[in-house]
Amino acid sequence: MRKWTIMLTTLTAAAVALSGCGSSNNGGNASNGTNSSSENASNETSTNNSGKSGEVVTIRTSITEGELSKEQIAEFEKEHPNIKIKIETVDATKLAAQLATGDAPDVIRILGVQDLPNYVIKGIAMDLSDRIEQSSVFKADDLLPITDVYRFDGKTVGEGPIYGLPKDWSNDYAIFYNKKAFDAAGVPLPDPKQPLTLPELMELSKKLTIMDGKKVKQYGLATNSGAKTEPTYDSLIEYLLSAGVDINGEDFGSINFDNQAVKDYINSWLDGVKNNIGPNSVNNDQTNNGDLFFKNQAAMMIFGYWYSGVIRNDERAKSHLEDFGMLPTPVAPNGTRVAPTGSATGGIINAASKHPEEAWTFFEWYFGGKPADDRAKTGWGLPIFKSKMDLLPNETVFDKQVNEVLKDEMEYSNQYMKMNPYLAGGGGSIFNKYVQPLLFGKSSLDEAIKGMTKDANNAIEEAKAAAGQ
Amino acid sequence: MKEKTKRIIAFYSMISPWFIVFLVFGLYPMMYGLYLSFTNYYGFNIKKLKWMGLQNYHKVFTDSDAMYSLGRTLYVTLINVPLGVAIGLGLAMLLNRPVRGVGVYRTIFYLPSIVPALASVLMWKFIFSSNNGVLNGILNLFGIDSVNWLGYDYATTSLLIMLLWGAGGGVLINLAGLKGIPRDLYEAASIDGASPFKRTFHITVPLMTPVIFFNVIMGIIGSLQIYMQPILLNGAELLARPIQPNYLYFVHAFQQIFAFQRFAYGMALLWVLFLAILALSVVVFTTSKYWVHYETDQEG
Repeated sequence: MRKWTIMLTTLTAAAVALSGCGSSNNGGNASNGTNSSSENASNETSTNNSGKSGEVVTIRTSITEGELSKEQIAEFEKEHPNIKIKIETVDATKLAAQLATGDAPDVIRILGVQDLPNYVIKGIAMDLSDRIEQSSVFKADDLLPITDVYRFDGKTVGEGPIYGLPKDWSNDYAIFYNKKAFDAAGVPLPDPKQPLTLPELMELSKKLTIMDGKKVKQYGLATNSGAKTEPTYDSLIEYLLSAGVDINGEDFGSINFDNQAVKDYINSWLDGVKNNIGPNSVNNDQTNNGDLFFKNQAAMMIFGYWYSGVIRNDERAKSHLEDFGMLPTPVAPNGTRVAPTGSATGGIINAASKHPEEAWTFFEWYFGGKPADDRAKTGWGLPIFKSKMDLLPNETVFDKQVNEVLKDEMEYSNQYMKMNPYLAGGGGSIFNKYVQPLLFGKSSLDEAIKGMTKDANNAIEEAKAAAGQ
Repeated sequence: MKEKTKRIIAFYSMISPWFIVFLVFGLYPMMYGLYLSFTNYYGFNIKKLKWMGLQNYHKVFTDSDAMYSLGRTLYVTLINVPLGVAIGLGLAMLLNRPVRGVGVYRTIFYLPSIVPALASVLMWKFIFSSNNGVLNGILNLFGIDSVNWLGYDYATTSLLIMLLWGAGGGVLINLAGLKGIPRDLYEAASIDGASPFKRTFHITVPLMTPVIFFNVIMGIIGSLQIYMQPILLNGAELLARPIQPNYLYFVHAFQQIFAFQRFAYGMALLWVLFLAILALSVVVFTTSKYWVHYETDQEG
């Protein structure tokens, strides 16, 4: 009898675990499943209520607390007594589950470059073309071309209806330098007017890397925290944009990584990894990249304009801001100059929102009203309005250097990275699957290219079939 | 009302809170997931689902990633469970001794199992770091070259070390089992001249086999469902792909559902895992009659 009791317990435990995928496992889950709301959310009504005159409706948004302060919410709610704003903390897994169950927020925060086409194809994003056209806040001649990242006609990004707007944007593959690290390596700063090619960047990074015996004293190149100085799917797509290569087949129906430009890109980065130019999977250095940069242990960082905000506000940099500066986005050899945004974080209105009018009111205010001015003044990203460019910081030597380079970069920022919408978030996963063994010398480039092409096409085929195409 | 009826009502009244919650939040989603695993559900087509029959299940067995990750998961389970159970029992036996401050030691050894997985992974990432990592620092002290603990060759070893660090989680149930062993058995054995080694292997271990059996079963279930630790050990976010040797089965299912939105296929993967857990449990259960000893009659 006792054995049967244990067996039954086993079955039940396994069943409970099976039904709980994505909730908690082995001691918890990194995904934050709790919702946070503004202090004013206590007066909310059900989101199922219609926005009839006199009724207060709650607009749920996944814009984060760091991007929308309680004070800003209070200001908005004072101006719009019929609308309450509730911030929902979501991560990719929670949002996917919310979308699948039709319970996603009214205004969804997305990465325009990576997410928009996928959201349009799945019918999640509301077409905002008429609203934006008729808006007194968003004027066509004042919006920067970068806003077209949120246009998609089913085939081409930048064309067709507009489904959302970035809150701000950056030339995300540009370089920030620390002159002290350049001086330590005895290497002069490159010309900020002339973009480096990727192989040139690798060579420069090698020169800037200083060894102390077997230990690295100073790296040449680092990138955002958590990421490693090695090939990534996103930066491959950026490189291909400069090389003028589109690896997607017609209507994104297929993809082919078997292209010389892809091989050149991967080889350049493999060379960088081999020469230890930055923290990577092979040297397994877990030091925070920001710490490396500000402690003069990394000479360059791959970041867009928004990182100037980090530099301005870091205590370790404040006293000598003139030692920092921006360099243009690197290009492919013989490629055209590009400075695309790598994310254009912004928002869309959920096509299934029960309160589209109120959602639009909030959307218009957040993306074009006072919060847009507040964002521009901080320099933590570039505004989407020409008229707000003057609000960017322009006081210190550092500000002026960055703005000078930015002026050039702006002229090359109106091309968009061609992310295959059918790969959704899986493109990076497939790419990493085949690049990791390369880093450790466990496979050949040809095997990797063949494998990623096969996997990606299988995923595309299945996604298209599921979408009924 | 008859006494038997009263007892039945009392029984069901008492289990109903858990049972109702299980039905609504456990069994129903599970069965719904089973239904979805036979469709083409990809997260956004709930209103126009297409019946796919066994197609998703067929894919599981032809998906090289699924089979590879299943193999790696079984490998990790094969090492993690026996070692975890043995360490848990060994620690409990040490902590069962009347030593001064034993309560503090029990707390310390149990602590890893209440530290959130995210925090413990972050801590271990720095221990395993090649640059200023504690583990390599110790190796360097003995003149041994640093090792890339999170690289291809050692990633699974590192994962296992991290998992076994939490082996003290079994201390509570093991201690409870040890307290249940009558003292007079040890006294009688001592009088007969049995050494501590013999007392351990002829009294403690046989009488602890029901607890070991329970720990083995729960260990298998837990090990087959590991996903967060390998992901975070190599990446910074949950959709990051862990290094290939740590690409475990549950990670694959997680990736299929949340990175590729292949919800139906992900459900099929999880149901296959459920069947694998069931099969392994049955194997352990069947063999238990040869090694699990109960003090009471098992026929009833």
